[in-house]
Amino acid sequence: MNKNYIILMGILILLAAGLLVLPLKNNSKQLDPEVLMWDIVQPTRYVSTDEVAKMIIEHDPLLVMVDVRSAEDFQLFSLTNAINFPLDSLALDDAKSALTFNKRNMVFYSNDDLKSDQAWVIAKRLGLKNIYVLKGGLNRWIQTIIQPEAPAETASEAEFNLYAFRQGASQYFTGGSISIDQSPQAEIVVSRKKKAKAAEGGC
Amino acid sequence: MNQEIDIQDRPKYINPYFGGVLLGLVLLITFYITGRGLGASGAVKSAVVTTVDKVAPDHAEQNTYMKAFITDDHSPMFNWLVFESFGIFIGGLLSGALFGRIKKLRIEKSPSITNKTRLFAAGIGGILFGIGSQFGRGCSSGAALSGTASSSFGGLLVMLLMFGTGYLVAYFFRKLWI
Amino acid sequence: MGPLIPQGIIPMGWDFVIALLIGIAFGFVLEASGFSSSRNITGVFYGYNFVVLRVFFTAVVVAMIGLQYFDYFGWIDLNQIYVLPTFLSPMIVGAIIMGVGFVLGGFCPGTSYTAIAIGKIDAMVFTGGLFLGIFLFSEFFPFFEQFYYSGNMGSITIGEFFGISNNLVTLIFVVIAVIAFYVTWRIELRVRKNMTQYKF
Repeated sequence: MNKNYIILMGILILLAAGLLVLPLKNNSKQLDPEVLMWDIVQPTRYVSTDEVAKMIIEHDPLLVMVDVRSAEDFQLFSLTNAINFPLDSLALDDAKSALTFNKRNMVFYSNDDLKSDQAWVIAKRLGLKNIYVLKGGLNRWIQTIIQPEAPAETASEAEFNLYAFRQGASQYFTGGSISIDQSPQAEIVVSRKKKAKAAEGGC
Repeated sequence: MNQEIDIQDRPKYINPYFGGVLLGLVLLITFYITGRGLGASGAVKSAVVTTVDKVAPDHAEQNTYMKAFITDDHSPMFNWLVFESFGIFIGGLLSGALFGRIKKLRIEKSPSITNKTRLFAAGIGGILFGIGSQFGRGCSSGAALSGTASSSFGGLLVMLLMFGTGYLVAYFFRKLWI
Repeated sequence: MGPLIPQGIIPMGWDFVIALLIGIAFGFVLEASGFSSSRNITGVFYGYNFVVLRVFFTAVVVAMIGLQYFDYFGWIDLNQIYVLPTFLSPMIVGAIIMGVGFVLGGFCPGTSYTAIAIGKIDAMVFTGGLFLGIFLFSEFFPFFEQFYYSGNMGSITIGEFFGISNNLVTLIFVVIAVIAFYVTWRIELRVRKNMTQYKF
């Protein structure tokens, strides 16, 4: 027998055996911790209640509001067209595919911004993009949008403008004196995107 | 027959292990690019469906098996496997030309049988392969080769049983080959 | 990363160009290895030429190892690879029918295309038979439709079936292949000694 063949076969066996001794690989592609740390300290992930209110009123097609509170809380009160995705379900395997909205901006919110911040970190580690957190959560939402406080007499014009906007928004969301026809909250059904379909084969 | 002449006439094939590595790499690249393996009999299936669809469209439409492959927007020939199989043919031409194996039309057979017998056996073999590849979800390249390479249990099953059956029945057809 | 086309990295429009190129490479290797000759191929059943076993096993093993490493390095997502689904009973029947057809015809579909390219009439008849066989199958499909879909086990892998990892399956496969290479080499030497009228 040719010696070269013995060497070649040896290489083949070594390669195959190498597969067994390779350390278990980390299957889920998660974000590098350093990159994550950098992103966490950036304040850019926060969006203010005013910005969100504006986007909702303008029916921004790219906006997806994600309520990370429990389903019961979601039933009681939620923002227009928000979808419910409780924090614990983010740990599930299909969370990533369920939350992958093509190039849409996802804004997490909870009562304050603690839970939504956690959700943001998890989502970030899952590799999701275009995700944000509603600064101050629903509490701030109520304070600023639903029951806006009138600025002091001495306040700047910008503040008055903001107040005017908030009053309008308040009326929009609470259905106050300016009656805007608001159909019962339309629900976005969380369409769980199927895993990218494996290519068809055939002979 | 003279041994010396035989050795000189021996067609120059590449080393089978080298060929195997090349074929393995082609298969690997195919998986990498398209996410599926190679195939061959699928092209004939497309040809069958196209022919029946041309000759008797209603009949093809009624057939539960063929119906699935007929769409309004394009012909069943507009199919990945058809293009790939056409490539196989061209590849065979290239290699045949390179190694000087393209010659006039001929029949290859054992000296102990007639041309008629060889062609008859080839035809029957083709029919059986055609039927078997439909049940087996692929032929030797689609099911056995690509299936096994992608660790499919069905692929392994088809490969083992196909060659196993071959060995079992080989004795009865030995006249065809030796 | 990969597979490129299902991931949308290469647009679908290139699909057919790539199909043609891959086919050319496939056909070239088949012909160059000697698969355009039916007597070469069937030698595997009579012990005088094991080229089929060598090429086939080497290719499977190389592709298997390659896929596992590609997956390990994250170059390919094995979940998106098409794993041939297993339909137990129809596959057993199909494989047996193909086995008989293999010995009778001396080709399999892919190799017959390359044999046509170099001018083998028997390969043309074989491909004609293939056409007829698939036509017959489609015509009589309603009679065995139920059987055709029976025994569906889904896209089960060898490792899943035996309850071991697919990496181990690969290693076992390589060891079996190497043993087979050695044994068939010995057999071939002995059989060829007694054969004088066959040109390899």
